[in-house]
Amino acid sequence: MRRGVIVVVIALLVAVACGGSGTEVRVLVAGDPEELAAYRELVAAFHASQDGVRVRLEEVTDRDELLARLATSIASGRPPDVFLLNYRYVGRFVTSDTIVPLDGYLAASAVLDPEAFFDTPLEAFRFEGRQMCLPQNAASLVVYFNADLFEEAGVATPRGAWTWDEMVEAATALTRDTDGDGAVDVYGLGVEPELLRVAPVIWSNGGELVDDAERPTRLAVRSTAALGALRRFLELRKVHEVTPPELDAESEPAEARFTSGRLAMLMDSRRVVPTLRAAATFDWDVAPLPTLREPATVLHADGYCLTSGSERADDAWRFLEFALGPQGQRVTALAGRTVPSLEQVARSDAFLDPAEPPRSSQVFLDQLDVARQVPATAAWPRVEDAANAVLEEAYYEPGRVEAAEVALALLQATRGAFAEVAG
Amino acid sequence: MERRERLGLWLMAAPFLMGVAALVVGPSLVTLVLSLFSWDLVSPPRFVGLGSYRALADDGVFPIALGNSLRYAAVAVPLRTVLAVGLASLLLRRAAGAGLGRAAVLAPSAVPDVALAAAWLWILNPLFGPLNLALGAIGLPTPAWFSDPSAARWAIVLMGTFVLGEGFAIALAARRVVPRQLEELAASAGAGPWATYVRVVLPVMAPALLLLAARDTVASLQATFVPALMVTNGGPPPYATTYLPVFVYREAFEYLRFGPAAAATTVMLAVTAAALWLQYVAFSRLRGGVGFRDP
Repeated sequence: MRRGVIVVVIALLVAVACGGSGTEVRVLVAGDPEELAAYRELVAAFHASQDGVRVRLEEVTDRDELLARLATSIASGRPPDVFLLNYRYVGRFVTSDTIVPLDGYLAASAVLDPEAFFDTPLEAFRFEGRQMCLPQNAASLVVYFNADLFEEAGVATPRGAWTWDEMVEAATALTRDTDGDGAVDVYGLGVEPELLRVAPVIWSNGGELVDDAERPTRLAVRSTAALGALRRFLELRKVHEVTPPELDAESEPAEARFTSGRLAMLMDSRRVVPTLRAAATFDWDVAPLPTLREPATVLHADGYCLTSGSERADDAWRFLEFALGPQGQRVTALAGRTVPSLEQVARSDAFLDPAEPPRSSQVFLDQLDVARQVPATAAWPRVEDAANAVLEEAYYEPGRVEAAEVALALLQATRGAFAEVAG
Repeated sequence: MERRERLGLWLMAAPFLMGVAALVVGPSLVTLVLSLFSWDLVSPPRFVGLGSYRALADDGVFPIALGNSLRYAAVAVPLRTVLAVGLASLLLRRAAGAGLGRAAVLAPSAVPDVALAAAWLWILNPLFGPLNLALGAIGLPTPAWFSDPSAARWAIVLMGTFVLGEGFAIALAARRVVPRQLEELAASAGAGPWATYVRVVLPVMAPALLLLAARDTVASLQATFVPALMVTNGGPPPYATTYLPVFVYREAFEYLRFGPAAAATTVMLAVTAAALWLQYVAFSRLRGGVGFRDP
């Protein structure tokens, strides 16, 4: 009897340990329900397109969980064959040779041609001349706006390029107490006080984010141009008061506030489109990021990476060929989630169909020329987190804050993380 | 004790001891070793000696996290212990509603942490949450639970005080074994209910209370993890609710810095051990050096 139990337990353990290894290609992705639905559709389309290779999606809800899952699975010797990750987080896996360069596969591929991709996102995944991952999307930071609120307030909706001052002016006019109770009901703009949001403002003012884009050793936020940009950013809350104050921001994320029609503009990437399509009951569209001196925005691209030591590397590559090829990119573009990285799909109706909001999706493509990437070194995620803590505090702290003080605090808070990069 | 009897005791304890060795002692030793290496789980580990500990000392966040954890334990442990013992004493006797009361105290401990955190996220919402709406309705201040550092810390304490089912069960059991005769004797000697409680009941319960407080110290240095990660997300800045477990989690699983994470865990273990030792000494003094032994 006891022996029987032991045998069953061992059999179960073996089954758990080997669970699903089989012959499937394991693909690790993160996303909210709408995004994951798009990836399931993609896999279904891949299965329908051929018989040889089966893909099993491993789904997690967010990037932090994906990173934890990835690291532990690599340490345990069973990493997924493929994972999808933002370029800002790939550095760690490049320096440790966890992922394989895709140049050889690309050269031999009859399906994928690097020339067919937009340059900017492709470049974001190139490390020391090697193409480490391939971009599935080419999103960047834009301004979403609620056209109905603009009309109610008698403010003209942004058309094409516009300046920072024009945005502030519009946001000020749109920040209103609509029911006359003395409290603001609609705010003009929602933006997270984060390094990733501040970066394009610095670039737009002619400044730099770091001292060396390839091998950064510190933030370059103490230049006159960067300080000016930082000041303008902080003034959104501290002087113009056009973004929700801390209490409101903590009570309701800007995305939810925008979706419910109580925020006139929202700075975000392509990410929010599936949710807005599903839930927004007003007329909305996108505008380019406003400029200080020159147009600029920040790239938000995710890429497929192939782990080294994968026993099904060739099968995994076949999935990548499909997912990144015209057929696969159409599927994710139609779901609204991605700005396709393939020029051909990006310029097709799958992405630009004016019947599907946002009407001006072309903005994303136009912006690509001025989209820049933040560094993608191994320790960059730590730099961002340390900087964001400083920025959030400065942005919401009551009273005036000198940009120079904030810049100094940014330098100090991120020093440790940068030191690790250098070491 | 007879040799055979002693052997029997060891045999009975063996499964537990094996479990402790495999799940606690082993991993602790691995953590200690790991803290001497630089490792991202991905590349081969590199020996750095005490480098990770020095990195912690230079790290801006670690001292804050350590201070937060100690402050939390200093507030939460006495509060939770007093609440557990108080509730156990109140809900001891058979009385109308006592059963329901005991169930209500135990219930939150049976709910998964994540589900509780999700509920608190709504309850504490500064503008739309029922707690602040209720406070506002009766004219009390409505704290900014997610953006005021001190309010956020109290929020974590508040969330912790609702999960005291285990301590309550121990306190209830300890209260039950206090012999009735002792209380009657005290009463017949003229002691009032409060004096009886403080002079007779509590001292008899003391060994259990020591265990309770010790266990709670260990737990409270870790229990902040889910609420701080899910509800306050380590904030508001500057790192108001970044406690050691959150710090360790971020270092290890978000930044893949397993060396500093292991070093921080080792420090946490050392702090826990020190706190337990202090409590043991304090209680021993109080009870005239009797310590854990039964009265």
